[in-house]
Amino acid sequence: MTDLAKDAKPVAAATPPGATVRASTAAADVQTIPVWQNISNVLGRRLIELLVLLVFVSSTLFFLLRFTGDPAAVLAGETGDQEQLELIRKQYGLDKPLPVQYGIFLIKMVQLDFGKSFANAQDALGLVFERLPTSFTLVLIAFTANLCTSIPMGAWLGSRPDKTGRKLASTFVFVAQGIPGYITGLLLIQLFAVELRWLPSIGNQGPQSWIMPAITLASFQAPQVIRVISANVAEAMREDYIRTARANGAGFSTLLWRHALKNAMLGATALIGAQVSFLLGGSVITEVIFAWPGLGRLLVTSVQTLDFPVVQAAVFMIAVFVYLAIMITDFVFLLIDPRLRRQRA
Amino acid sequence: MTSATLGAEKRPISFKIPSTGSVQLNLGIIIFSLVVLALLSQWAFLTPADLDGNLAARLKPPGFVDRNGVTHILGTDQLGRDLFFRVLAGLPWSLGISGVAVVLVALIGTTIGLIGAWNSGIVRTVVLLGIASIIAMPFLVLALVVVALIGRGFWPISLTMGFIAWPAIARVIYAESRGLLQREYVLAAQLFGVRSIPILLFHVLPGLRPTILVMAAFFFAVLLIIESALSFLGLGAPLNAPSWGNMLSDSRQYLVNAPWMMLVPAAAIVSSVISLNLIGDGVAELSRRRGRAVDV
Repeated sequence: MTDLAKDAKPVAAATPPGATVRASTAAADVQTIPVWQNISNVLGRRLIELLVLLVFVSSTLFFLLRFTGDPAAVLAGETGDQEQLELIRKQYGLDKPLPVQYGIFLIKMVQLDFGKSFANAQDALGLVFERLPTSFTLVLIAFTANLCTSIPMGAWLGSRPDKTGRKLASTFVFVAQGIPGYITGLLLIQLFAVELRWLPSIGNQGPQSWIMPAITLASFQAPQVIRVISANVAEAMREDYIRTARANGAGFSTLLWRHALKNAMLGATALIGAQVSFLLGGSVITEVIFAWPGLGRLLVTSVQTLDFPVVQAAVFMIAVFVYLAIMITDFVFLLIDPRLRRQRA
Repeated sequence: MTSATLGAEKRPISFKIPSTGSVQLNLGIIIFSLVVLALLSQWAFLTPADLDGNLAARLKPPGFVDRNGVTHILGTDQLGRDLFFRVLAGLPWSLGISGVAVVLVALIGTTIGLIGAWNSGIVRTVVLLGIASIIAMPFLVLALVVVALIGRGFWPISLTMGFIAWPAIARVIYAESRGLLQREYVLAAQLFGVRSIPILLFHVLPGLRPTILVMAAFFFAVLLIIESALSFLGLGAPLNAPSWGNMLSDSRQYLVNAPWMMLVPAAAIVSSVISLNLIGDGVAELSRRRGRAVDV
């Protein structure tokens, strides 16, 4: 069981910093390597992953578009006749053999040239960049709100999980986990925009209109983060180093906030890195509900109108965005957690 | 005291409901069976005519009795269709699509996880790289784009979700089976000359059963949420299909006049998701009690 746990979660299963005795026995097969080297290792691996993802996703879209129907017919719309189809094929290079088309497509992707939007002949990537800041605002607010509520809540629930109040709260969190974000969004609109008329429900009209979309987006993942952190805190509170600290006279809040929570958070690294991916996925539907002029809504409208250059560019940027977030998380955790700098010799 | 001595002499007939030993699992199974019972019951009394709209009874609140004396238990929608019947008819769509997808996800995820754990070198590198990169992409975005290309309908959506969502399961299965492959009984089997596929199927796979079950229950819920999200965005089940996501999407324009149009499908989605999460939690707790922690 122990080697299994080590295999699954090397970070979480590593020795806690307080336990010096165990750390010295483990030091035989572990060595500390310079920070910069580890960071470049980790970031290099992430870059390869990103490259694989970009090639995989864009190629899937490329081949699906060509195998599921005639792209020229899609472009021409319902009114296109034979002559028009030929013209479009020539214009977009669809008359060339498939491998050649694919090669051209890959070269253009490297040059970040996704073509022009079918809808309004604007540069596809430009359209995406135009929408990026609004989406980024929303994701950032939701991310901050998520962590600011989940961490204290998780710590509180995990510190003494057997108390009645916390059991009730845990049940509430469990139920909240079963409510998809879009339902939360509709309920919020029903309550605050329709019944109480406190908040605007549509568009980006200043800070007041950020509240409901941000809560909606945060609610997609917050219950899950709370549950993971509280489970980690509860586990950390049973560790030997906590007992040692308590025997040394540390107060309960010091135990919880300084010792247990720190280790619990490090176990949740992957979850926090993945948050941005979840939030971007959730932002697609949140932006549609609240008519938020962001990347997600652009993606949905261009998918609905089969505007493929924009779809490709949007998917590309979302992948880059997600990996940027993952790399920043990796970087931060490498800096603050000395254990991650050790490497098995 | 007396009951104990009585029990020793003559065992009283027990009316106890068979129990799994986990409150969460029991609760989850009860709610989920209710949902599935409702699914099955529709063939008994639901006729196609029940799903037809009645424009004289548009947007009526729950409990409304129309001119024909029919009670609309959960109210009607913008075309006068009975919401209770529509939610029932939506079950094959919402639960069916995610059910097919979850079976596919479990199959593909387990297979690829086992392949990665058994092989070393380039195969493992490819598997791990593939899992790590696909898992990073927002699932809804991928599903959205692929479904738009290959079309709507029951099979396109369930197959798309099945072929996209497997990496999360594959990663857990990989980690677990790496651990199991280091056990002595696997080594013993290898020394007896058992080939790789029988080892994986008969020695490793049984040990993964609780993990697969827990992951499948949680993923059933996740896929149900995604399916409804796709329909909600107008890119899932066909527009007239009574999928729960479609019903939610319809309700958006009538939030002011007919909030029950939103609440009815929302309740259906939430109760299914919670029951599936309960089942997952319950199975995880049971296997933890048996000393086999499930790490999800």
